[in-house]
Parts: sequence; C-alpha cells; structure tokens
Amino acid sequence: MLTTAAAERSDIGNFLLTRIAGFTGFLHANGYGVSAADSVDIVDTAAQTGILNQPVLRWNLKSLLCKRYEEWQRFDALFDAFFLPPNKSVFEQSDAAADSEEVTGGGDDDGAHESPAMIDDAVVDETDAAGHGASRGENLSSTDFSELNQADQARKVEALMRRLARRLKHLKLRREVRSTRGRRLDLQSTIRQSVASGGTPLRLAWKTHRRVRPRLVLLLDVSRSMNAYSFFYLRLARALCNELKDVHCFIFHTRITSVGEALRDPDPWRAQERLNVLAVGWAGGTRIGECLQAFNREQGSRLVHSRTGVIIVSDGYDTGDTAQLADALGTLRRRARRMVWLNPLLNRPDYTPVASGMRAAMPYLDLLAPGADLAAIERVLPQLIESLQ
Amino acid sequence: MTLADDRIADIAGLQGQLESAGYVAEASLAATLLLTLDLGRPLLVEGDAGVGKTEIAKAFATVRSARLIRLQCYEGLDVHAAMYEWNYQRQLLAIKLLEQDDRPLADKEKDIFSETYLLKRPLLEAISCDEPPVLLIDEVDRADEAFEAYLLELLSDFQISIPELGTVKAITRPLVIITSNGTRELSDALRRRCLYQFIDYPDFAKELAIVKIKAPQAADEFARQVVAFVQQVRRMELQKKPGIAETLDWTAALLRMGITVIDDDGADRIIDTLSALIKTREDRTEFTPDVVARIAATC
Repeated sequence: MLTTAAAERSDIGNFLLTRIAGFTGFLHANGYGVSAADSVDIVDTAAQTGILNQPVLRWNLKSLLCKRYEEWQRFDALFDAFFLPPNKSVFEQSDAAADSEEVTGGGDDDGAHESPAMIDDAVVDETDAAGHGASRGENLSSTDFSELNQADQARKVEALMRRLARRLKHLKLRREVRSTRGRRLDLQSTIRQSVASGGTPLRLAWKTHRRVRPRLVLLLDVSRSMNAYSFFYLRLARALCNELKDVHCFIFHTRITSVGEALRDPDPWRAQERLNVLAVGWAGGTRIGECLQAFNREQGSRLVHSRTGVIIVSDGYDTGDTAQLADALGTLRRRARRMVWLNPLLNRPDYTPVASGMRAAMPYLDLLAPGADLAAIERVLPQLIESLQ
Repeated sequence: MTLADDRIADIAGLQGQLESAGYVAEASLAATLLLTLDLGRPLLVEGDAGVGKTEIAKAFATVRSARLIRLQCYEGLDVHAAMYEWNYQRQLLAIKLLEQDDRPLADKEKDIFSETYLLKRPLLEAISCDEPPVLLIDEVDRADEAFEAYLLELLSDFQISIPELGTVKAITRPLVIITSNGTRELSDALRRRCLYQFIDYPDFAKELAIVKIKAPQAADEFARQVVAFVQQVRRMELQKKPGIAETLDWTAALLRMGITVIDDDGADRIIDTLSALIKTREDRTEFTPDVVARIAATC
C-alpha cells in the first residue's frame, strides 16, 4: 500500500508519506492504541485526499487515530509537536527524552485545569531530577515505583481483591432477560421455542431480572501525609482493576489524575514508567475539595451514575477550603449510589476525626472505615461489600 | 496540490449541504464524514447529551437523500429486537393450515421458514436496502457487551446469519453512525473499528449560526444576546449544562413570552422562562434574580 501510493508522489511527497507513517509510532509512544492497520489506512487516505494541506491532514488523522475522548483532547498538541517546525530544544534531545517529555504533557492534560505555573513546576522538577541523578530517590517528582512490583505482598493483595470482586453482588436491574429458570414465564420465547416441536410447548422459557456489578470509582489521596499508604492502595487498585472490568482509578494531591490506563498496563515495568510520569506532585500538599470538584466537573457526568460506588481513600488532612470539600462531596454523593471513605488513621486507638476535611465529609458517607494495612481491610471487607451493594 | 484543493472544495460543499439540511458542522466534522464515505468505516460520535450527535445522522441522510434507519439501544436490547425475529404467531397458524396439505415435509418446513415469516428489525433492514441507507445506532453504551459483540460481527462482514434461512449478505453497505453518551466504557474492539469524532458544546459563532437557522423568527441582535447568555450559563458550574436543544427551546419560550431583548431590567421575566434552559432543582436555585440580571447585563 505504502509503496504504490508513494510511487506516484514526488520526492517531497514520498518524504511526507514516510513521515506520516512515522506519526503512528509517535502516538503509540504516547499511549495511543494505534495499530499497524491504522498506518496503512493513513497512507491510503493521505494518497487519496492530499497531504499538503495541513488542516485536512489534521482532521483526517484525528478522526482516524483517536479512539476516545482523552486521546481526542491531546491530539492537537501532539500533532503540532510532530509536524510543525521545531521551535524548541525538543529535537536536540535524544528520542527517549523527547518521548518522556511528551508523555508528561499528556499526563498534564489528563489532570486538566491546572495553572501554567504548575506545568512549569513540573518541568523544573524533571530537569532537577536529571541534574542530580544520585539523589533521584529523594526527589519528590520521581518517587520510586518499583515497590509496586514486589511479589511478596502482591499475592495476598490479589487474593483479597478477588474475594472482594467475587462477593460484590450483582445489582438487580429492572430489565428482564431470558433465563433457563426463574419465576416469571417468558411467553413470547416459550411459543417461539414451541415452533420447533410443532406448536407443543415442551420447553418453557423464563424471565429473570438482569444483574450487573456496580461500577467502582477509586479516588486515592497520594499527598505527603498519606505517603506510607499510597503504594499499598495503588497495589490494591491494580489488583482490583485486574479482577473487575468497570473500575476507574484516580490519584489526587493538589490536582487529580486518572491512572486507570497505567495500572492496567500488562507490562509491570512500563506501568511503573507511566505512573512515574503521572505522579508529578506525588507526596505534595492536599487540596481534596478542589480535586473532587475538578473530578465532578470533568468526569462526574461521564463516570458516576446511579450504579456507581465511590471509594475515597484519604486521611482527611486538607489544606483547601472545607466548604468546597463539603460541596463537592454533596454533588458526588447525589450522583453516586454509595460513597465509602477509607481512612488509614482510623484504627489508631487515639484517633478522633478532628481533621477538618474528615469532619466536613462525615454527613455524606455511607461508610467510614479504617484501612491502614491488609489485615485492616480484611476486617472491614464484609462491611465494605455490604455498603457497596 | 490539486488533490488537496479538491478535498477542501468537497469539504466546503458538504458543509454547505449540511447547513441547508439544518445542521451547522465544522470543517473538521465534514472532513470526517467524507472520510467515512471513502473508507467505508463506521463513525463513532461521542459528546455530552444535547450537543447534536443524533442530528448528524439525520442531516447526513438528508444530504445524501438516503433512508435513515435508526436503532435506539437500551438496556436488555437483544438480537430479536435489533436484527430479526420470526413471526411465530403466523408460523403457528401456517403449521395448522399446512396440516391438510399433502406436500412433502421438507417443502412445508421451507415454507414456514421463508422470508414471508421473517420480521426485519433495523440491522437486517439496513443491510437489505437497495440504496445504501444511513444506519444510526443511537446510544450504543446503553446496550450490553454481548450486543456489542454482535454489532462488531455485523460491522466487519456486513452479513447476518439466520440459522433457519442461511446467511443474508448486504446488498449495499450502509453508512453507519454510532453515538455514545459514555454511561459505559465501550470495548476497544469497537473503537478500533470506527472513526472517532468528539463533539463539544458549540462556541459562540456556531451556536449563533444554529439559532439563526432553527429559529429564523428571532431578530439578529436578540439571537446574539440569547446565545451570549447561554454561553455564560455553560461556564457556570451546573449539574446539567444546557445543550443546543435547550437553547432553541429557550429562544422559543422567550419569543412566546414576548421578550425580544435581554437586559437586566427584564430579569424577573427571564427567570420565568428559565425552566426551558435549566433542568435540575439544584441548578435552578443558582439563578437568583441578581445572578440573572448580572448575566443579562453582560449580553
């Protein structure tokens, strides 16, 4: 395909076609699910519709290569970065460095509305990390995610999450489906089946209510005060993502970022890389209210519906506005089916919910449970499952 | 060079045609629609409720003067409602009637499972049209995963196999437009097969153009004010942002109430019409006379 299309073009056309074909690789490196078939389509399309017109090329590639909203949002920036003349040092860097910077850009987009200053901070952090390679472990922006891949605890976590997934009962829906047994006779289907036996209803068909598992949305606090627990919860989240299909995971500190895609990555090391990129600002301050509000604004209507269980993991230490937090929680609670808050500090004997964030949250919660470690989660599992039903 | 120029002319042409069919489309959307024609792939359209996803299919069908076949997905949608079903009452009747007939059994059976007794549902209908229709699969996220798998099979081969009758191959390939509201994550397999278009809330110029087409009775200045007001409302933090349909409803409501200018003096009368624009109680409480007057003053 490539050769026939290219043969008809002049040298410059040839060059452009090769470049366009290379664009899929670039997108793939940025986490797009593009395939080899797509590059064939692109070259085909380009040959048909002309490639020298920038907007047309952009529109065509956009609808061809984007498969979901997040990709759609990031596309224009990536397109510019790849096709427009380089005005920055991006092309002087090695490929790997350029790639990782692009991915950072993507992550920022996912986190949505942050101030330009924030993006600058992130870039500064990165260069710092590169400058002081030796002190990398101490740098806040490059938290060591290798802990995520340790095998010893992983198996136990997986077993626990499997139990949670299995016991998370299916919700009953109003719609009925056919089934081999049930309480209501499916007359239509029974007559349909009786055609095979000459009009005598030998086999009866039944109707029963359809059941689905609730959707789960996990919001994990990864601010500095939660430092000791963040990895543990990420591991839980990853195990849960592997067990259940409809799980959506976000981390927040001063802003909120989706990590579902990164956690689902089958290659643990690549998952680690992607988390590294997403975790700019990891272990920083907390603005829970602001983050939840951002979540409501950007994901709320898309993600949270009347069959959604929201699980928030946080210690409730909030540097933001408490009224804002209460407001955001109220909105979220109205949309969701259930809301559960896991607080790792809760099973300390001297603990009382004095943190302003925790107090503001109390009226909206269906369950407030402790969860500092695996044993604690195991103890509250029955309540957790109960309250998510 | 000329290739690209041709394409741009095509895009502008399609934009014009869509506009005369009552749909204001950006050049990028027109380009994508042309691409779906070229590649013969389905188009997946996503976006918030009320941004005009379904309207694309309707307008596109009008432009191509093709039939529009619509399959509204819902929870519990199954093959019988989407593809085909045997008209079993008639079949039973036929069995009784054929009892007196002394033709061989195989013939009778063939008779009973013939197309006469087949009820065509939208998907079968779409692939057995003589002229390629526009097939709109609306809100595919409401159907379940199992149905998505059926759909994939149809979209890749454009054929439906009916056990009693054999395989029905498409006479013409329908233009498939799929819409989704995102209540459920669609499978990667479906996404991979489709072209993708995300439709956002319209910007000022686009919405103004829509209002002018759909509500020609509104004066130019008034239409501009209405759109400016709605654009402001969308920037507020609301549970349910008003879509284009709401804008048009509201315009009609205002005209009906005899309001032909939006200013802060008429805030009280504007509030009476807001039920056409704001659809939840919480959002409604945000619109105190002060707020409305403030927004109206900027229009």
